[in-house]
Amino acid sequence: MTLLAAASIGTGVMMLVAAVAALVVKKLISAIIIVGFVSLSASVLFLLMNAPDVAITEASIGAAISTVIFLWGRGKIGGEE
Amino acid sequence: MIRTIIGLVIVLALSAIVVSSVSDYSMPSELIGVGRGYTEQGVNDTGSVNLVTAVVVAYRGLDTLGEVVVLFSASTAVVLILTLIPIGANPTPPSSIVAFTAGILPGAIVLFGIYIITHGHLSPGGGFPGGAVVASAFLLVMLGSNTIPGKSKFLTSIESIAGLTFGLLGFWGMLTLGQFLNNLVLPAGSPGRIISAGIIPLISLAIGAKVASELSGVFASYRKAGGEK
Amino acid sequence: MTASAMFYWSLAVTALGLVLIGLWGVLTRKNILRIALAFTLADTGVNLILVWSGFLPGRSAPIVDSSVTSMVDPLPQALVLTSIVIGVAVAALFVVVGVLASRKSGSADIRRMKELRW
Repeated sequence: MTLLAAASIGTGVMMLVAAVAALVVKKLISAIIIVGFVSLSASVLFLLMNAPDVAITEASIGAAISTVIFLWGRGKIGGEE
Repeated sequence: MIRTIIGLVIVLALSAIVVSSVSDYSMPSELIGVGRGYTEQGVNDTGSVNLVTAVVVAYRGLDTLGEVVVLFSASTAVVLILTLIPIGANPTPPSSIVAFTAGILPGAIVLFGIYIITHGHLSPGGGFPGGAVVASAFLLVMLGSNTIPGKSKFLTSIESIAGLTFGLLGFWGMLTLGQFLNNLVLPAGSPGRIISAGIIPLISLAIGAKVASELSGVFASYRKAGGEK
Repeated sequence: MTASAMFYWSLAVTALGLVLIGLWGVLTRKNILRIALAFTLADTGVNLILVWSGFLPGRSAPIVDSSVTSMVDPLPQALVLTSIVIGVAVAALFVVVGVLASRKSGSADIRRMKELRW
């Protein structure tokens, strides 16, 4: 249980830092990749919470497909902030 | 700057409200209510070993049908809005690494997606993640080609047939057992075998086909919409 | 505080923090795509909270086996499964509308999008 606590706290801190970074970082493409990373960390947390179905779904949809959608949008808007 | 501070104040106030409202919440020691019923009765009621799939497809099948409708309307809206953007020129050809990978990987990815879909009642997975995996194989194929996808009768007919199958399987339960989407119109079999749990595998297949074709349609219309700004 | 309680509450704090960060981003960012990203972050946080509400430390995943004696609540997991798929569909719609609006106004900055004002 101590190991699980360490894993969840470590992943959680990493996620929160990455989430703030995604909102303040200058380049839009970095923000998109960081949000994909947050989704992947969320799927780790789902696995820690014994929800393997949700973890698979989050990894395939949240980390892969929504990242592609945002990258497409960035290409079409075509701009940094 | 002033905007950032106002946003911060609003968020901090909201977090204070949330923290004060959950401060007397303590860690529960056992399940209560429907969750308890599902874990105790789930296998007997549905024959599905994976209780999440049992809830998604059997107990809350009607919710899932509504969810599929939401997905359908969202993807239709995306395709409709994208028709406002003129069709672009052919995209730049992919690098040889991407083209080579897109030639060999999609078959394996589709196979894995079908595995996830068909084993939804036995192991983690089911229609939603499996359909997304199949759609990502389609995305890879699209990234590896340097032409824009044309109109696909195949995708739209898969989508319609899958949605229709879901509804008709629901009505089958209504006609024979008096309950919409009752999954035991087929025998439950022995839990843990691949052919068991009534119509849960069939509905998983329908959901998987629906999700895969809808996400693929969204990707295809993304690819079609042309031109930088 | 025991390790079990720390495990349990750290998950809640992460999920809540993600929702609040996403909300802050939606309120303060100016690029429309950045707002969509913040929206996705908040969505992930809400999903985490929902799954957490059915979670009890020390129990196994809701897949019945002869060796399993107690398991977590499958209902929130099933709801979140559908919620994730809806979330990505809504994000796709958000991005498409954002792209169209930015083409109309010539900029991704929401302060220039006059037709979004009311």
